This record gives sequence, structure tokens and C-alpha cells, in this order.
Amino acid sequence: MTGPEHNPLADGLNLRRRPDGCNLVIFGASGDLTSKKLMPALYSLAVRQLLPEHFGIVGAARTEESDDQFRERMKRAVQEHSRDEFDQEVWDGLAGGMHYITLDFADEKGEDELRDTLTKLDEERGTGGNRVYYFAVPPSAIGTIVDEIAERRAAEGWIRLIIEKPFGHDLQSARDLNTRLQEHFAENEVFRIDHYLGKETVQNMLALRFANGIFEPIWNRQFIDHVQITVAESIGIEGRAGYYEQAGAIRDIFQNHLLQLVAITAMEPPIDFTADSVRNEKVKVLKAMHTPGPKHVIRGQYGAGFVEGEAVRGYREEDAVAPGSMTETFVAAKLYVDNWRWADTPFYVRMGKRLARRETTIAVQFKRAPHPPFEDAAAEGLRPNVLLIHVQPNEGVSLAIGAKVPGQGMTIRTVHMDFLYGGAFREGLPEAYERLILDAMLGDATLFTRSDETEEQWALVDAIVSFWQRDRPSFPNYASGTWGPATSDELLHRDGRSWRRH
Amino acid sequence: MATSLIENDWTGEDVSIAQIERELARLRSESAKEGAQPNLRTSVMTHIAWAPPEWQSAAEETLAGMAERHPSRTLLLVPRPDDPDGLDALLSLRCFPIGDRAVCGEVIELALRGNRAFAPASIVLPLLISDLPVFCRWRGEPRWDSTEFEQLTGIVDRLIVDSTEWPDLPAAYAQLAELFSKVVVSDIAWERTERWRSLLASLWPAVGGVQAIRVQGTRAQGHLLAGWLRSRLGHDVELEIEEREVLEGIDLDGQAAPFPPGRPPNASDVLSAQLDRFSRDPFYEAAARAAAA
Repeated sequence: MTGPEHNPLADGLNLRRRPDGCNLVIFGASGDLTSKKLMPALYSLAVRQLLPEHFGIVGAARTEESDDQFRERMKRAVQEHSRDEFDQEVWDGLAGGMHYITLDFADEKGEDELRDTLTKLDEERGTGGNRVYYFAVPPSAIGTIVDEIAERRAAEGWIRLIIEKPFGHDLQSARDLNTRLQEHFAENEVFRIDHYLGKETVQNMLALRFANGIFEPIWNRQFIDHVQITVAESIGIEGRAGYYEQAGAIRDIFQNHLLQLVAITAMEPPIDFTADSVRNEKVKVLKAMHTPGPKHVIRGQYGAGFVEGEAVRGYREEDAVAPGSMTETFVAAKLYVDNWRWADTPFYVRMGKRLARRETTIAVQFKRAPHPPFEDAAAEGLRPNVLLIHVQPNEGVSLAIGAKVPGQGMTIRTVHMDFLYGGAFREGLPEAYERLILDAMLGDATLFTRSDETEEQWALVDAIVSFWQRDRPSFPNYASGTWGPATSDELLHRDGRSWRRH
Repeated sequence: MATSLIENDWTGEDVSIAQIERELARLRSESAKEGAQPNLRTSVMTHIAWAPPEWQSAAEETLAGMAERHPSRTLLLVPRPDDPDGLDALLSLRCFPIGDRAVCGEVIELALRGNRAFAPASIVLPLLISDLPVFCRWRGEPRWDSTEFEQLTGIVDRLIVDSTEWPDLPAAYAQLAELFSKVVVSDIAWERTERWRSLLASLWPAVGGVQAIRVQGTRAQGHLLAGWLRSRLGHDVELEIEEREVLEGIDLDGQAAPFPPGRPPNASDVLSAQLDRFSRDPFYEAAARAAAA
């Protein structure tokens, strides 16, 4: 490329795309998400000089706090939670443009003050009216804030809204929220965040499938027997009873993280890696997803038990949980994706709290070898090949293959070929929020959920939940520290399969 | 980052390649805890370092700084042509814990004595990990027409030099340019100018008409920056060098350019960045040619 506007000196330089100058407003800045995830992510971006040169942060929440108190609290949060060592110089650069506003979200005066602060920051820091609004608030508060922001939209600059999960409570509320957003903002200004999509290993699933010639030809019903996806947490509800009693496992994990993992595993190759191409393919999977009948969805709730040797309470004994609560803390389901590639191939999914260990995995189990001549000699029965994607912890990929045990005779055992992310690439993996905040600032929505995607997710959840109105399972039905209720095992046993051994 | 554990090493004099491979296998199997799964050997590349004795300790220091980032098989070749014929080896396994296992990289330090110093390819070839890229860091200025240089550049995918280490500048860039079609070359001196090149690029279009630069830095940095400006801007740019250990400043037509943001990378960071790249850098090649012209 030539011409007067072309800079020949920029050619070949590894210039990272830096976002335009902007101000980031965090609604819900007094919450845990801000101190544990958002601020450490912003600090790590600052360490790597990935933030815009002209940048300001405004925290907004109901809690009374001064600018200095906010900065001090954020500094401690960074020192405690950042993956990078604390550097005073980097912090000073970030904290210099940091402000706090005490704000009731429906409060006109507070919103005016926010607008004035932002206008002042535009003048001081040259941020040109560009705004990123981060909604770390409950869904009920979003609508009001959206109206207030739209009313006070600056004449210049772009706006991006990052909206945390849960996005609505059911299909209707998600539609209502989408309609409210669309009244004021275009779809490319709305970034619905699902932090799982920011995880390196989830993105690596796309690389694994579409950058390697060997997997895609066998990635279908002809070669794959079934897929198992596990999103297991060993922790309980960690004092979030108010939220969890309303949400349960189906809204907390299934509707977002779990369905994203299914979509990424099952989607067709996108024609390119742009936001719409990737999201079109994911929506097709969600549309093709068969609503499982009540027999194919298992609910559970944890009772007392032991996690890592420590006695823990049951869900109903947790603080602020109703003693007769029917909220599910575990869901297992058999899903089908009704398309040419996956017809009749079950996707078994399970997710829950207080399970035996923290683990997120996608296990793709291939069909058995058609005629293994070694059946008698197999030490533990010949097991089918499994491609296992470890999303967390110990990010990596492993392939279970049968191998001959050295020595006389022909004994076969299953061994794992492992690729550990941390083994090949020793750079620390970036936190999901770093990637996602930066992408939103750059206006790249590939790793965010589109409105039709959220609605398809909720449609499936609504269909499942509608069955649940009719019966009252006997809760609790699994002990903390186990892999869920016995009915979850039966779900697979009925099909002559079983959950992966851990 | 986890702490590096040098779990085990082995030294041998007058060894054979078979003996080296046997001992490496033994070190690997001994490194795993009893009853546990074996440790993993990471395989992303073979990294050769050619370090004449005067460069040996600098090479070892850089390797120690980046072993954890690129825990692959490293062959440190120390030529000792004046010693009696033979091959001495120091093998060490460097393992880094990940979860309940460890990832191990191997460092094979070989003293090539006597005639062995002139036939390095035959020693290196059997020790390369199959199907993976081979990088060679050449310490000091190569003897351009020597057998050892020709042999090693013939088997590696990427040659990494640091022209700061070369006495014969800018003429040596002409020798280097002859290699460009044979092997991918990268130059650490060039990498060290990157922050400054980004800064100069940010001064576009004002920088487009620059006629003369004064570089406070190493001679290599001065020549490469001038070569880069000449090749990109398409006109001559006069160069004056005020020698310094590191790049401290650039004047453009007598005006000091602002200092670039961030901190300069250390030696291990720079080498590590080179090991992540695989393709030719036409901008470097043009800059080196223009520097020599």
C-alpha cells in the first residue's frame, strides 16, 4: 500500500491494536466482581500497555465512598488478586484517572453528576466522549440505567455496554431487556459477557477443531459416540443465597456457560473469525437443540458432606436459604443437536456445586474400533478413544489411546497423550476478563453473546423448567463432595454408557 | 511462574551420541516420582546455541532466564578446536511443576573438541527432535565462510544473531544478507530497536522527510535504524553514532525524539520473542541491506 496517508514506518511493526481513548464506567463498583476480576484485569492490561493512552475509570455504586477511598480499595484488590506483581508506577498511571460516584441507579441527580464527571474527564484526559459502561449489577437494575445513559448520551464518541450475566431470568425477561436495549442502542453497541468465552482453552477449542486437519473429518455422528461436558464446582453458594435461590444451577451455569461449551463443540466451521460469522454458527446449534423430555433432565441439591476432607453444610442449611428450598444446585441432561452432523449423538452435560472437585471438561468419546483383535488381551477392557479438553484447571488437551504394555504377549492399556497449555506455552494465561474488556473497547463482539443467542438459550431453559413445575423431587439428593445424585448416573446407564471416571 | 527445579544432571567425557540419548532417557525416567505418571517432555522446538568459550557464560545466563518459557531441548555447543579430538557432555533436565506433574526441558551442553568443532551438523542432527522447528542462536560474529557455520545454517530453520556482538559493522550486514534466501534470520539488535521504531512510526508524517539521525546506542542499533529509515522512506538518511551500551536516544535532524514508553526488555525476553517467530522479516532484511550499502 502506498500513498500519502500510508505510514511506511508502521509496516512490519508488531503494533498491537490499542483502543481509542475512552472512559470506563463500572456500575456496581462496590461489588466482588469489580475487586476480584475487573480491576485486576484492568491493571494487567495496563502492565502490558494495552489500555488506551487516554483512559479514565469511574466507579459507581450505592455505597458511600470518596475517590481516595475507592482508589485505596482498588489498590488492595489489585495487590491481592492480580496475576502480575504490583508496580507502583503502573498503578499510579491507572489510579490517576480513577473516580468514584455514589449513585442510586434511578437517581437523576447522581446520573447528572456521573455525566458531568465524564465530560470533565473528556476534557482532562482527551477521551473524546467515548464510553464503555460495565453493568456489574442485577438484571432488574439494567433497564433503568440504560434509559439514564441514553438520555445523557454525549454528542460525540462511541458507546459500548458490557452486560454481565444473568441476562434476564427467562425468555420473556430476556426479550424485554433486549427490546429495552434496542430502543436506545444498536446491537453492535451491546456486549453481553459470558466470561467462559474469554478463557484461552475455550478459544483453543476453536483452534483445535478448525486449525487441525485431523479432527474435523471425524467430528460427527459417524465417528463420535457421544460428548460429555462437565462444569463442576467444589464450592457452595459462598453467601450468594439471594441470587442463587432465584437462579439455581440452570440459570447460573446451564443457560450461559454450559450452552456456550455445547455450541462451540457442535458448531459448523465459521467462514471467518468475525463476530457475526462465529455467532451465526453458534445460534444454528442452539436452534437445532432438541428440548429434552423430563426423563432426560436430572435435578439435584446438595446435602451435608465432606469437601476436601472438610465437613460442609447442606444447601438448605446455608445462610439465607429457605429451609425447604427447592432450588437445584445440580443439573444433568441429555441433549441432542438435530442436524446432519450430530443426529442421534447425545451430549451429556452436568453442572453443579459442592461436587467432588472443581473441573470443567469437554470429553469427546469416539466409537470403538470396529473389530479389535486384542479383546482377550486387554488388561482392563479396551476403552474407546476419548479426546479430553480441560477448560480448567490444568488447561490442556489429552487423547486417550490404547497402547501395548511392554513385554511378552499382547496386553493393551489405555494411556493418555497430554498437551498441557502450561507445558508448551509458559507465558501466564491471561484472565478471561482481560481479553473481554479489551475486545469490547476495540468493538470486537466475537466473544460476546448476541441477542438471538441469549433468547435461544432461554427458550431451552424455559422448556426444561416448565417440566419442573409439576413435580417435587426429594431434596437434598446428593451429599456434598460427590459427583451428584444417583439418578445422574442412571441417565447414562440407561443408554449403556457412564460418566467419565475421574 | 513456578520455580525451576533442576532435578538431575550427568556429565561425561569422550561420549557418544548413543550414550547421550541413553543418559537423557534415564534422567527423564528418574525425574518422575515413584508410582506417579512420567513427567512430560515439552516438544515445541530444538534450540541450538553456538557459543565459543568466550561467550559460554553469557549464553548460559540467557538460557537460564528463558528455560521456563521455552522448555524445549537445548543444545549448547561450545567449540574447542585447539583441544584434542573428542566430545564432552553435560546433560541436565530442568523440570517445572504443573499441577501434580512436571514439564521437563533438556539442556545438552557439548564441548566439541578438535575436529569435532568443524563437523557440528553430524553431532546435532541425531539429537534434533523430529518434525519440530530448529532455532540456532549464534554467539559472536560468525566466520562467514567456515564449514561449521555453513553446516549449521544448512540444518536450522532460523538463525538468531546479535549484530551488537560483531566488530565488523556495517560491512558484516552484507555477508549476512547473502544468507537471507537460505535461512530465516533474526537479529537481537534489531529486536532491541522495536520500541524506538514504533515511536518513530508514531511521528509519521512529520518523520517522513528526515535527512539525518544521531543515535545514542550501540553501533548495530545505529546502522540498523538508519538502514530501516532509508529502506522505508526511499531516500538517504545520514547517520551519526554516539556509542552507548544501550539505546538511549535518537535525534532527528538535530531534534531529540521523545523517549518511548515502557521498559526495555531483558536478554531472555528478547531471545524468547525471537523463538516465537517463524517467518522471514522482509523489513529487517531490507534494513540490513540498506545498512551495508
